[in-house]
Amino acid sequence: MITYLLRHRAIGLFLFIGLLTTVVSWINPAFLSAQNLRDIAVQAAPICIISCGVMLVLVAGEIDISVGSMMGVLAASMGIMVSASRAQLPPHVAIALTLLIGIGMGLFNGLLVAYAGVPSIIVTLGMLTALRGLTEIIMNGAWITDLPEEIRFLGTGTILSVPLSLWTTAGVLAMTIWLIHRTPIGRRIYATGSNPQAAQLAGLSIKSIKLFVFAWTGLLTAVATLVSVPQLSVVDSGIGVGTELLVVTCVVVGGTSVNGGVGTLSGVLCGVALMTMISTVLIFLKLGEHATYWSRAIQGLFILGAILADHWISNHKK
Amino acid sequence: MPSLTTQNLSKSYGGTHALKNVSLKIHAGDIHALCGENGAGKSTLIKILSGVETPDQGLVQWNGNHLSLGKVHEMESKGIVAVHQEPVVFPDLNIVDNLYAGRELSSGMGTWLNTASMKQRTRDILDSLGEDLPLNQPVGEMALAQRQMVSIARALFNQCRILILDEPTASLTTRESDALFKTVISLKNQGVGILYVSHRLEEVFQLAQCISVLRDGILVSTQSSNDLSEDALIQQMVGRKVAYPSRQQPVNADITKNKPVLELKALSRTPAYDDIHLKIHAGEILGMSGLVGAGRSEIARAIFGIDEFDTGEILFNGKKLQNHSIRKAIDLGIAMVPEDRQRQGLALPLSVETNLLLPSLNAFQGMTGLDRSQMRSMSGQLISKLGIKTGSPDNPASALSGGNQQKIVLGKWIHQNPSLFILDEPTRGVDVGAKSEVHRMIIELAKQGSAVLLISSELPEILSLSDRILVIAKGHVSGELAREEANQEKLLKLSLPEEAKQSP
Repeated sequence: MITYLLRHRAIGLFLFIGLLTTVVSWINPAFLSAQNLRDIAVQAAPICIISCGVMLVLVAGEIDISVGSMMGVLAASMGIMVSASRAQLPPHVAIALTLLIGIGMGLFNGLLVAYAGVPSIIVTLGMLTALRGLTEIIMNGAWITDLPEEIRFLGTGTILSVPLSLWTTAGVLAMTIWLIHRTPIGRRIYATGSNPQAAQLAGLSIKSIKLFVFAWTGLLTAVATLVSVPQLSVVDSGIGVGTELLVVTCVVVGGTSVNGGVGTLSGVLCGVALMTMISTVLIFLKLGEHATYWSRAIQGLFILGAILADHWISNHKK
Repeated sequence: MPSLTTQNLSKSYGGTHALKNVSLKIHAGDIHALCGENGAGKSTLIKILSGVETPDQGLVQWNGNHLSLGKVHEMESKGIVAVHQEPVVFPDLNIVDNLYAGRELSSGMGTWLNTASMKQRTRDILDSLGEDLPLNQPVGEMALAQRQMVSIARALFNQCRILILDEPTASLTTRESDALFKTVISLKNQGVGILYVSHRLEEVFQLAQCISVLRDGILVSTQSSNDLSEDALIQQMVGRKVAYPSRQQPVNADITKNKPVLELKALSRTPAYDDIHLKIHAGEILGMSGLVGAGRSEIARAIFGIDEFDTGEILFNGKKLQNHSIRKAIDLGIAMVPEDRQRQGLALPLSVETNLLLPSLNAFQGMTGLDRSQMRSMSGQLISKLGIKTGSPDNPASALSGGNQQKIVLGKWIHQNPSLFILDEPTRGVDVGAKSEVHRMIIELAKQGSAVLLISSELPEILSLSDRILVIAKGHVSGELAREEANQEKLLKLSLPEEAKQSP
């Protein structure tokens, strides 16, 4: 029973989320208010978008822990491009350039991993630090507070009273489902992570597959930045700090194997829902101010729990 | 008749010539065997023909047309496909995705997979092989033999004209091999040319019309199999005459009077095995025969403390083992050579020396850490004693041939003088020369008083080495035979499960 739920991670997590929701809303009915659920969803949106990319990186047998700093660079460069007191580029040009910068950074990660053969944990660890430094150089200690209306709309606007970021998330999820289940490249990502040697013998270009997953992650990080950063009126050099760890936690808690080859979108989706709920849950449980300090510790426990679960499964396979 | 020809293929890695001026011709509708010791260049030739490697020199032609080399897709599109030795599959993917990896059927420029037709084709191919495998199960959860079938199905997939089989029966039992031979022969009759690489010479003579021999990267001969005797073939392969070491009668004629080293009493673990009783005495080689998946490896794993068992007892030197663990097994003097040496028996990236001394590192613990010079002299002794071919003890184990790797796996236990050896398929994928050396080592172990539990799917191996033979079928002991009364037919009959025996 337990093994089944751990193996079918989405079902197990779904039940756990249901249980958690029941308990919390019983203690504090306001948890289930439309406003609160909407807040949680909006908070989860960028994490969900980036997780769709990082999940495929893990499935391909690699890892990307640079997305938080990529967000920093993207937010800073976007801010400078559109700011009325800086470059004053038209919003659509700035959006296009931001997406290109995202792809560019992803490609850079991918090139170092696939073609230079550097382990991805090292490449993206280096990029995590380097890109945060680059963000600080770009921002030069200043804040950008004059984002134009068109850009603010990306963060605050709604269509049919649903926030734009949720529409975007739905679009990204749909594209990821299509990519995984309906395209050759999706299958090849799983094949590469499952057995790189066999993939090579099958004539797959492992290098281009790895390049693709990193570039895809870069693109999705840019998308996430565009729909989340303009929610606030201020851009500073601290945007995205810690996002990489939250994303990896969501992806791993969602049942994606750190050894590659295994990962489902439904699992990752539940992982994102659970991890973004936790901080809110702690507030709604009214355990006092100190309780909220626990959220990081709990986040850490979840990632350890997820990895232990994977070991449990592989030991009980036979 | 269409044919695949190579002209003067040469390839070297670093300073060593893996292939030198190899010119070979494989006709469609022929089974052409390729023999040679490990390291003779067979793998390199296969890699070139399947497009994984590019030769330094030379040409490959199909029907007189030059092929562009070094591209798997190019070779596959011409119908030249290889099934590599270890079943190369994607463990996390199901059969359909395994078969189609790298050549998915899609429409709209790769934007839409045709999953329904991929499933249908997969089913057709499995039907034509007479296999009924679940389409949705991850292949990694299947048995080794089934995974091999998936590899072969993958190869048959396109309009296959030349099929290269590298040690296809290395992981199969006799019955599964027979099924494979039928497939191979029916492919041949359909006009497929087959390059058959195997260490099992009976198979080679049974199947092939034509036999080529590689030695040290040079093509020694290509002959009709009718003109060749097994002895002559072996001689060409090794370049000298080797006597197949047949086991002397036990030194101690009544070996079962020795005290039992290991005794299992009603050992059970559902669903792998049930009610297993066995005794192994000092100096005795107990053969364990049976089909792949009969539960032999699982029993071995329990004895070595890798897996737990449900009920029953393990007695070692008369004492009941409690809270069994691998460390405890090693300390007691049990050594295990696992089935899958690359995955379970060796730390491939580490040096030959480290691998050899890994289980006994404690013995080299000095005041200031490991005693390097003592380690070096010990590893040097082992390397020369076992005849391991390596340039230096510092070379990584991954750089050695399969036979030499197996010698390391055995060697790392030998100098500890264990009282029980568990050998699971010790000569799987090992070439003739190295095989007889491994056999000699096993006999030597027994002579020195160790008890040996030998698990092997190769009947001649079991028959020539064992003092007694235990047959396992479906997790039960289905029979025990003394050396004198055992023969291939009896072993085979005992290893087939009941229902299979009744059906025609």
